[in-house]
This record gives sequence, C-alpha cells and structure tokens, in this order.
Amino acid sequence: MEKSIENIWKEGFLKSDALVAPKINNLYNQKSIHIIDKFRRMFKINLIAIIAFSFAFLVVSYFVGIPIAGALFFVTLTALVIINKQLLNGLEKIDKGVSSYQYLKTFNQWIQHQVATNTKFARFMYPFIFMSMILGFWFKDAEGTPLGERLVDEILYGFPDIYLIQGVPLIAIVVILLIAGLLSFFGGRIYRWDLNIVYGRVFKKLDELMADIEELKN
Amino acid sequence: MFSATNSKKAELSNDFYKTSILPFSGIIIKLCRAYTNSQEDFEDYFQEVCLQIWKSKENFREASEWSTWVYRISLNVCLTLLKKKKNNVQHFASDSVTVDETEDNYAFSDESLNQLYKAIRQLSEIDRAIITLYLEEKSYQEIAEIIGTNPNNIGVRIKRIKTRLKKILDGKIY
Repeated sequence: MEKSIENIWKEGFLKSDALVAPKINNLYNQKSIHIIDKFRRMFKINLIAIIAFSFAFLVVSYFVGIPIAGALFFVTLTALVIINKQLLNGLEKIDKGVSSYQYLKTFNQWIQHQVATNTKFARFMYPFIFMSMILGFWFKDAEGTPLGERLVDEILYGFPDIYLIQGVPLIAIVVILLIAGLLSFFGGRIYRWDLNIVYGRVFKKLDELMADIEELKN
Repeated sequence: MFSATNSKKAELSNDFYKTSILPFSGIIIKLCRAYTNSQEDFEDYFQEVCLQIWKSKENFREASEWSTWVYRISLNVCLTLLKKKKNNVQHFASDSVTVDETEDNYAFSDESLNQLYKAIRQLSEIDRAIITLYLEEKSYQEIAEIIGTNPNNIGVRIKRIKTRLKKILDGKIY
C-alpha cells in the first residue's frame, strides 16, 4: 500500500542517521552569512572608510592649498556618516524572533528607507562635492591672487567682450550649474542602479515572499 | 585580557548550544534540509541558525515558548541567507535550489524520505515552511503564528501542497 507523506516523514526520521546535528564548536567566533549581518558589516566598513577618507582629504587639501574644498568635502561626508549611522542603528533593531511576515516586512521597510534616504542624499551630495571642488580651486592662492580671478583675467585677455556676473564669466556659471544639475539628476539614479545590480534579486525575492504570505492572510 | 574574555564567551556559547539549542536541533535540521540540497549548504545553514539563536537570545520574550521562538528564528534565517554569485550579484540561497538542482548531493538512509525532501524542495519557500511545520504536527494556529498569517487559510494551503507533493512523488510533475 502506498505510504502517506505523514508516514514517510515519521518513519524516515525514526532512522538513526536522519537527525544527526553537525558538530559546532565555538559558536561565538563564527562569522555570519546572514543578510542582516552582511549589511551590518558592509555599512560599518563603508562608514570607517568614509571617515578615514574625509580626514585624509581634509589634511591633504590644506597642504595643496584648497582647504575650502577639503572643509566642504569633510562636512558633506560627515553628514553622510551621521545619516548612515542612524540607518545602521535601525538595522540592529530588527528582531529575527518575530513571525516571518513581520520580520520580512520590517527588513523590507528598512531597505526601502535606506534606499530612499541615500538616493535623496546622493542628489545633493554629488553636486555639492563638485561645487566644493570648484570653490576650492577658485580660491586657491596663486601668487597672492585667487586662482579663479587669475583665470578670469586670462580669459578676459583672450575674450574681452565676455559677459561677467560678480566677476565670473556667465558661460562658466552656466556650465557649472549644468554639470551640477546633471550630477544631481544622475546621482540618485546611479546609486539605485548600482544597488540593483548587486541586490536586485534579493529585493525581488523579498517582495515575492511577502506577497506569498499576504495571499495566505486574505 | 581580550583573549580571556573571548574564550569565556566562546565557552558560554558552547554551553548555550548544548543546553538550549541541541535539544531542539531536530526541527532545525528538518527545516534546514528543506532549503538546501547539499551537505555543505546544510551545515552552513545549521550553523547560521544556531549562531542567530545565540545572538538573538536576549530578545526572547517569555510570552512565547522557547521552541516556538526557535522555529521562528530557524525559518527566518533559512528564508534570508545570502549567497554571492561570481559576478558579485547577491541572492537568497534558498532561491538557488531550482528544480534541476534538487538532486540530493547528500542522502538519508531512507529512500522514501529522500524522495519526499526532493519534492519539498520544489515548492515555494513559504510552502516548504508550512509543510515542514505541518509534518511536525504543529497546529494551524501555531503555523499561522510562526509565519504571521491567518490560520483559516493554512488548512486549504496544506491540502494544496499535499496534492502537489503527491503529484511530484508520483512523477506527474518534474
């Protein structure tokens, strides 16, 4: 007679080899491969790298004569670190001991929140960094005169009819604003695109898992 | 100083494993088997579930039973373990067990159980959890609480899963 799946299960697990647990030693020192722990590690490494880089750039900018760029760059990256530290704190609070739906929903909400926050920030960060570099070089000392003013003098020498606003060529202002606008437009998109390449399948799967549970709820 | 603290914590984790995890290892093993198709992956899953139970133990509330909490952690960990592909693309490990890959690289001595697991691994991730909990004789209410859904629909879903499993076992679905 054909066995039911219940009987296959019961009888199969009565055999001595079926429930042998793998040997685990020193649980405390094992490295996790869980998504939340991986995100946590990635965030920590990124934050440490950003802090180190922004400090290094601040020091270097002072010695190469563009301290304004260094200071603005430092302020921007510090804001990025503070925002992402708060996101990391939210990640630490996700409880794996709740129901699967609650757990997946909380994790998904965290992902949506972090993507939205960093996308928004990227829209401001890239143009701001670009502008800080422009300002840094504009005010860089060039034999007693700011580099920007010297550059304008050179341009006026070649194009005496060029239109200036507050001593800056209009064409330069237009080009700078255009680049800043493009960086703002693409900044958030590049961040999302990059994230989707690496984690796109994970995000899709999370949605599928939740949709499956939601179907059971209704 | 650091190494002494480290070894103390390692010792504590070993004690915790023996007293609080090992007695419930049966369900962890059964769940992990449903989401893996090789001995190596199974051991990774089992270790990760134990690690997460150890790391989350402070969050345990006496309102639920320890065993139910262990089921929840085990399932939630199994659903969201990551694997990295060669091109750096991340995906959930359970998602990689496709129909073509459900051939066991490891096996129980009971051939019928092997066939049943092979069939279970062809189900969706949530259905694998539901049928495993059902076969562990959990009530619809308990299954619904662990998954976070409505108990009224669990019975219907189990019936559907059993029909599908039977078809797979009878060779009508490949």
